Amino acid sequence: MNILFIRSIEGRILAGITMFVGMMILVGWVAINEEARMQSFVRQHTGRSIERGAELFASLCSECHGEEGYGAGDRAPGLNNPHLFGFDPVGLQTAAITNANRALVRLNKEIDSLLAELTDAQNPPTEERQNEILAAIAELEAQVEEQDIAINAAVTERTAILETLDTAVENDLFPLWDTIVDIEQTGDNEVEVFFNTNGTRLAQVGWAGDLHGYVVTTLIHGRPGSARVYPNSTGMAAWSQTAGGPLRQDQIEDLAAYILNWDKGENWTTEDFIAVAQYGKPLADGSLPSEPPPPPAGDNVLGIMQRWELEEVVGSAVSGEMLYDQEFGCTDCHRDGASAPDTIGTATRIRNERLTLPQFADYTIEQYIVESITRPGDYVVDGYSSGLMPVNFGLRMTDQQLADIVAYLLTQE
Amino acid sequence: MTILPFPSFLDDVKEKGFKKAVFEGIDDSVERLTAGLNVQDLREAFRGETASRRPNPRLTPHADGFWLHMRPSYFNRDVTGMYPSFRLGWLSSYFVWFETITGILLMLWYTPSPEIAYGDMLTILSNVPLGQLMRDMHRLGAEFMVAVVAMHMMRTWITGSYKKPRQFTWFTGLLLLVITGFLSFSGYLLPWDQLSLWAVTIGASMAEATPVVGDQVNLLLRGAPELGANGLLRFYLLHVLALPALLFVFFGVHYYKVVIHGHSLPPQKENIGEDTAKRVPLDKRVYFIPDMLTYEMMWLGATTFIITVLCIWFYHAPLENHADPQVTPLGTTAPWYFLWIQGALKLGDKFFWGVAFPTIALGGLALLPYLDVTPSRRYAHRRFMLTIASLLISVTTILSYMGLAKFAVQTSAETEIVHELTFEPAHSKVGVGRTIPFDQMIVGAYTTAQMHHHDDMSANDMIAEINAEVLANGQFAQMIQELKDQHVGANQLPLRFRTIPAAEAPTLMRVMEAFAHHLEAEPNELPNVWGSLVITDNQAGLKRLDWVVSWDSVLIEGGEVQLDDNDDPILVYSDQVDAEGNPIPVRRIYSDHLFIHEASAYFD
Repeated sequence: MNILFIRSIEGRILAGITMFVGMMILVGWVAINEEARMQSFVRQHTGRSIERGAELFASLCSECHGEEGYGAGDRAPGLNNPHLFGFDPVGLQTAAITNANRALVRLNKEIDSLLAELTDAQNPPTEERQNEILAAIAELEAQVEEQDIAINAAVTERTAILETLDTAVENDLFPLWDTIVDIEQTGDNEVEVFFNTNGTRLAQVGWAGDLHGYVVTTLIHGRPGSARVYPNSTGMAAWSQTAGGPLRQDQIEDLAAYILNWDKGENWTTEDFIAVAQYGKPLADGSLPSEPPPPPAGDNVLGIMQRWELEEVVGSAVSGEMLYDQEFGCTDCHRDGASAPDTIGTATRIRNERLTLPQFADYTIEQYIVESITRPGDYVVDGYSSGLMPVNFGLRMTDQQLADIVAYLLTQE
Repeated sequence: MTILPFPSFLDDVKEKGFKKAVFEGIDDSVERLTAGLNVQDLREAFRGETASRRPNPRLTPHADGFWLHMRPSYFNRDVTGMYPSFRLGWLSSYFVWFETITGILLMLWYTPSPEIAYGDMLTILSNVPLGQLMRDMHRLGAEFMVAVVAMHMMRTWITGSYKKPRQFTWFTGLLLLVITGFLSFSGYLLPWDQLSLWAVTIGASMAEATPVVGDQVNLLLRGAPELGANGLLRFYLLHVLALPALLFVFFGVHYYKVVIHGHSLPPQKENIGEDTAKRVPLDKRVYFIPDMLTYEMMWLGATTFIITVLCIWFYHAPLENHADPQVTPLGTTAPWYFLWIQGALKLGDKFFWGVAFPTIALGGLALLPYLDVTPSRRYAHRRFMLTIASLLISVTTILSYMGLAKFAVQTSAETEIVHELTFEPAHSKVGVGRTIPFDQMIVGAYTTAQMHHHDDMSANDMIAEINAEVLANGQFAQMIQELKDQHVGANQLPLRFRTIPAAEAPTLMRVMEAFAHHLEAEPNELPNVWGSLVITDNQAGLKRLDWVVSWDSVLIEGGEVQLDDNDDPILVYSDQVDAEGNPIPVRRIYSDHLFIHEASAYFD
């Protein structure tokens, strides 16, 4: 071991300097590669952000917006949607027609001026010049013809695309159109009218910022009143913690990264338009729903029990199961007993293990379940962490929904 | 008469000539900067010559200078080699400074707030030149420091250096060990990723077990019942302010004691009961200037070089996903140096093993020099204490092993296996399922049943047979239902299993083999099992991988599979019977999924 100790002073100085210089060279080498490393880190991190966003989308958003982001009729608009990303299905053709028309104006001007020179009575051109002008006009007219052909081709293409989309509209694939423009009266191609009046989703809602800002804002604040616009939905909730929802800001950004990753840029196709199941509707017109939605159950356990008795609320285990599994996603945690007590055997356990505890002496089994759902922090079963279960279920469920879930859990022996 | 209205350098020039005045000026400045050594003295020292001036100028910096007044002016030759110190004390001090410097650099880009901290880590990695290297160095240095300080303590025990008169030195050293542990632990939380949140949650939950004041201690430490903004700020302040302050104070006391008593000699070099560290014979003296100074400069270069090499090629500080109090990752453990407590906790009572036992252990260590008062430091005379030392090392190792997630934690086999295949990068490891290159993730449903290959059958025929079987007995339909429940798009659901394209996707094939291998290792808990990997397209550049396990349900009581008289697992049967009237076992299914983006580069 003592061999490691270089015995001569020069040796040690030399070794020290060598190592120091070696280290500086290494650090320098790392430094000149930093730019590339940092860029690749950003790429990698964006990829992972999209992955996390995909996970959040599948578990929180796909129920309404569809697993593949196409939306659901009268429930939620599609996000895998060229219209959202501002893609004009006939944009290329329209541009081609506009360009050709501009060229035509220019060519006709040139022809006119040549003709004027040719027929100028005061300054008649020489014979040589006349021949020149006639040749030039012939060439320009050939160009005019070329542009005409181009326009015809673009118009044909454009009409074909619009026809395809229009057929889709007629087959009711776009539940949106008829709510926006009164097509019947104008007699125009519906899709064309739509794109003339509603260009992109951002223009439609009058959003001044960019798409990222629009998506993030919608995720944070939700869409107050959207339940009135989409009758099959319960409305887009505020998802961000800043607005009282469950998601952190970084999760909002992950979701936005995932949603924006649907953008195909210039490569959207007519099929993509047809695949969308629900387009974004314009803002609500301000009319109120005929019946106000039922109030949430809240977290006053005894109050809830009393109301149930007075209003004769009876739960249905069948709809309770659906609410439990899907609407409120209880089985996401209550599935195998690892992070939360298993759903299977809930009723048995409560009866045999919980209600025998002194603090639950005067509880009914229903009351225990209601308390566990609306005030999860009051008692946590040994072996599980407190604070994991969200505390706002009481505010998200109506009395009837709560009763349905209780009825369902009572069947879990 | 001076040239300027006051005495100046110009007077020297006038009197002695320019060259001589400049040289003398330089000489004078060097002597003042080094607190006693002029150019000639330095030259002689670094050439290994004896000092030509009397009294020896090489001792002056120790007497007059600040930096060297705390260093001994000479050492005993017997303590300057690898043995007996193994340079562990020096290394500990080295890491104190190393961590301070790298830590201050990291502080420049860090904000202790749950909303910002993780983003700051990403900034350090993505937008700060050398930021990653600095973070790797700080993290690796921290791990090394804990290890080095602990080894330094064990070395002191083994050579009996804690004996009179160094009892108090030992005690301050023990305090430094505890402070080092807490410094490292408090730094663990700062990146605010899943790894830090949960490791610290586990560590801090031990404080809860303290009787009477447990809840208060916990609240004081975390700032709230759960770790959040207050907890992060408190850990940050502990990490950058309170603990370093304590560390530097006790570092000073410790080193002062070391110098006062001298470095203890190897046990066999002095007579029993004597302490001759301060009486160094002339022929054994190794002077600090130039010998120890050059040694230390060399070690400084060497150690930093080694750490740089490690951090460039072999070690990267882990950074997992953003901390999420709602999602407990599978297999969470405390930092490795607290694993022994986590292991002890599995032995039983939380208070006894989590609080009393570590306190007793540390208390015992603190009292060690006052209990072991035999005069001899010779190994042959200290068999009992050396046995205790080896026992301590063995017990800590065993307890640490028991602290690992894989030891005696009940998780069902299917969860464990899928986790093993899919876990996110942590501690430089990643689930093999994530390492399939993007172009090898060929859309389709693949099954591990294909691995039970009959030699006389081609893979395609095999899959055809499996498909016929699972489509008939409803197991495939059960899988489809599970995939639907897990929000796989309706257009993406597979219609049947595909043969694994081994030629185009060798890594996919290897992952499926590993999957099959894991499943086969659990014949009791997962009888008649097959696993499936369903790869679907999600977006451009984004695939979804669903991992499905399907097996016959078995009777499990108290976490143990119940076996019948033939040592076969007891199956759980449903109410239904098959065509021959035999009961059908309940078929269970489990699935988990992950998304993989082509830029994520898990497979690099």
